Amino acid sequence: MRAALFIPCYVDLINPEVGVSVVRVLRRLGVEVVYPEGQTCCGQPAFNSGFFDEARGAARHFLAVFGRERFDYVVCPSGSCTTMVSHYYPFLFRELPEELEVAEGVGGRVREFSDFLANVLGAEDFGARLEGRAVFHCGCHQRRELGVLEEPQRILRNVEGLELVDWENEELCCGFGGTFSVKMPEVSVAMADEKIRALERSGADTLVSCDPSCLLHLKGRLDRTGHGTRVLHLAQVLDPRRGRVE
Amino acid sequence: MRREEFLESIRHRTRYGRYQPTKAPDASWTPREGRGRVEIGDPPSRFLEELEALGGHGRRAEGWEEARDYVVELAREAGARLLVRWDVEELERLGADGPLRKAGVEVAVWRDLGDFREVAGRADIGLSTAEWAIAETGSLVLESGPGKGRTVAILPPVYVAVVPAERVVGTVSEAIRMYAGRGSLPQNLCFHTGPSRSGDIEQSLATGVHGPGEVHVVLVG
Amino acid sequence: MERTGTEERARREGLAGGVEGFNERARRALADPELHDSIALFTRKTLKGRAARLAELPDAPELRERAYHIKQETMANLDRYLGQMADAVEARGGRVFFARTGEDVVRYVGELAREKGAKVITKSKSMATEEIELNRRLEEEYGELGLEVVETDLGEWIAQLAGDAPSHIVAPIMHMNRHQIARVLSRVAGEPLPPDVRALAGFARRRLREKFLAADIGISGANFGVAETGTVCLVTNEGNGRLVTSVPPVHVVVMGIEKLVPRFEDLEVFVQLLARNGTGQKLTVYTSFITGPRQEGELDGPEEFHLILMDNGRSKLLGTEFEEALYCIRCGSCLNVCPVYRQTGGHAYGSTYSGPIGAVITPLLKGDREAKDLPHASSLCGACWETCPVGIPLHDLLLKLRNRQVEEGLAGKAQEIAFKGFEEAVERPALYRAGARLGRAAQRPLVRDGSLRRLPPPLSGWTDFRDLPPLAERSFRELWREGID
Repeated sequence: MRAALFIPCYVDLINPEVGVSVVRVLRRLGVEVVYPEGQTCCGQPAFNSGFFDEARGAARHFLAVFGRERFDYVVCPSGSCTTMVSHYYPFLFRELPEELEVAEGVGGRVREFSDFLANVLGAEDFGARLEGRAVFHCGCHQRRELGVLEEPQRILRNVEGLELVDWENEELCCGFGGTFSVKMPEVSVAMADEKIRALERSGADTLVSCDPSCLLHLKGRLDRTGHGTRVLHLAQVLDPRRGRVE
Repeated sequence: MRREEFLESIRHRTRYGRYQPTKAPDASWTPREGRGRVEIGDPPSRFLEELEALGGHGRRAEGWEEARDYVVELAREAGARLLVRWDVEELERLGADGPLRKAGVEVAVWRDLGDFREVAGRADIGLSTAEWAIAETGSLVLESGPGKGRTVAILPPVYVAVVPAERVVGTVSEAIRMYAGRGSLPQNLCFHTGPSRSGDIEQSLATGVHGPGEVHVVLVG
Repeated sequence: MERTGTEERARREGLAGGVEGFNERARRALADPELHDSIALFTRKTLKGRAARLAELPDAPELRERAYHIKQETMANLDRYLGQMADAVEARGGRVFFARTGEDVVRYVGELAREKGAKVITKSKSMATEEIELNRRLEEEYGELGLEVVETDLGEWIAQLAGDAPSHIVAPIMHMNRHQIARVLSRVAGEPLPPDVRALAGFARRRLREKFLAADIGISGANFGVAETGTVCLVTNEGNGRLVTSVPPVHVVVMGIEKLVPRFEDLEVFVQLLARNGTGQKLTVYTSFITGPRQEGELDGPEEFHLILMDNGRSKLLGTEFEEALYCIRCGSCLNVCPVYRQTGGHAYGSTYSGPIGAVITPLLKGDREAKDLPHASSLCGACWETCPVGIPLHDLLLKLRNRQVEEGLAGKAQEIAFKGFEEAVERPALYRAGARLGRAAQRPLVRDGSLRRLPPPLSGWTDFRDLPPLAERSFRELWREGID
């Protein structure tokens, strides 16, 4: 089994430990992991701001990079970036049949990380260990476009020492929304605070998600408000070294 | 604006540019018979349950006499001075006029009223029957017509309907389908479901804002 | 507020894309903890009811599909169905008027009031009439008639008395608490009323009853119109709709042309979806189906029935990629699930229609320039689409509106340059990597305790409230090249 890695730009540049954990987890399962050179960004920032032409430019580059070789799977540790490629690339190219075909081809093979583990590899127990009480935050695209809500939670329940608890308002958006987070900062932060209040009420000391962008936003607010909450991507929970590289 | 001009500009828009939606619900729809048909074993009982759950008062009367007694008792308890009722055969059969008058309640029949606002606006109780009742929701199906004033069920603070039990149908869908393709609808058809209510003040329930706050239904038979 | 602070913010927001209006209003809302509590209370109750009511319907997903397809069919043949509706109403003795604009509606109603010598007009809740500001314009343009136009929906009436605007499609004064309401009504009553629901509702009932009985004209909206039979379907809980449409001798309906459905049996789908989704009820207390004026031998009911079919910008959307916005049945469900609305309430949107549907149709009906900020007032989470009983992809429509602004040059030079630069960098890996190296160097003086605490605009929007980790010393790509074990 050979899988290409699609590492979101902010994981590449800000949270590479997430990518490192993904590599370790996949290799332990016997997957040959490939990292196509030249990948940069899926184009979602431009797309969400309405700059469809610029997003198409980014998309073309992405499709070229991931089209060089026919991968059975392209694995991405971000629900929102996965959705960008699988759902919105076809939308961007809806009036350009040849490119649409390419987009649908690659788009059909991109899988979010937990989806890949549970539904392609059939793996939900990794012998992982993490002490603590956790809540799971499902990114909006992952929930509504990909429909991958249960898989990460099943995986977390198999983590030894980890108590996965429910939290109120779990379906509410965290408030990141890409450029929304800086265009409407007060509302964005108010939305984060709503989630953080629910986190407090749940008594959890750990926040896990499959969307590093949501985590960037929530952790940023948690840290600024003096919460000591441990914030991890699912891949890091499954990697004993949590993505650290010595 | 003239009709033809108005419609033509719309026709123009719909003819040029038929957009293909990208997020339409997936499965194609074919009409299915009996869809939404919730099996309701005992419609009259279910009706009364639903009505009570909404804060209405329901009663199953074995016969018209029992129904009549209920209405008279209701009027007495409410201290009613004026009751206005539909001019229909069912209520003639109910025979409540005599006993009500004897109990000191004036009865106005929906016929030759002069200014209906005067009568319905002053009445303490409104009495009618219903074409149908809907078990699923505890609703009455009221048709307007000669002798069947809309405001009887809407102006007085207390409202009571006496309905033969066999008129209870199962679901909202069934009720609507009875009027679909019928050709001629009454001017005013209303599904009347329990006491008037408003949640506008802090989402706390206030009943009897505008419509009757007290609703009684007696199913006969 | 100091000018420099406002200017600075405006400049920063100009760079970030021009959402001044919404942000300004949102800030006020965010500073109001009572508002937050009101919204939380309302949405919790309504969503709980909604979930319970939908669970009772085994075929809820199919109803949603049917609703979408019925609306799609309606819009594709709207001219034909409008013609059919008009014919049906006229066959029943009603009158039909085609209003292109809000002004047409105001004029029709004003002239009708003049003709009838009307003094009191009662209104039941109608978003369409609010959209065109009917009450205010009647007052201004037909002032000499001395008309008293009374909103009779309890929430709308209180809002009218308070000089306030409704903040939610279904629950107009959701943003007011009982003390605020008591103050407003006490002023009207001329005596102090207790902040008690029963007392306040009782006062409302007594006061409005006079108006119901005295009305010369009743104006309502329409939740749905049926082309086949010329029937207008009205859905209320209080009974004011019934009173407005049964008591006065004249009944006027102002109906948006998109409210049409082809056949009476189609109401089976919509009546259930509207109640269950919108208010968490199986049916509202009064679901009325009104066809024309009173018939021979009837003692109450309107002697005259006027149906005003209003366009006011709706037809522009037909056949376009925004047409689905017309499928809305105004249930208000999208407001209840919107995480942005949850924090800001309805007034922040600055429009008749708030929440996700408001953010979509306001720019569509009023123009992009007038509502520049609204399509951006969303994190695109998609909860609105998920909850919409008709399946309108509101979040995608918001995205398309953002794109439309870009195409029209409304995004601002700063953003255009920024995203052109973004595209260049993303298409050229070497440039992307060079940019990262530059960033790593540039950030060093800004890193404090392992975090970026203050950044220049527009990123200050982030760091004003949140920490941001610095760019990693080695990117994932670099780690990969070194070998990950």
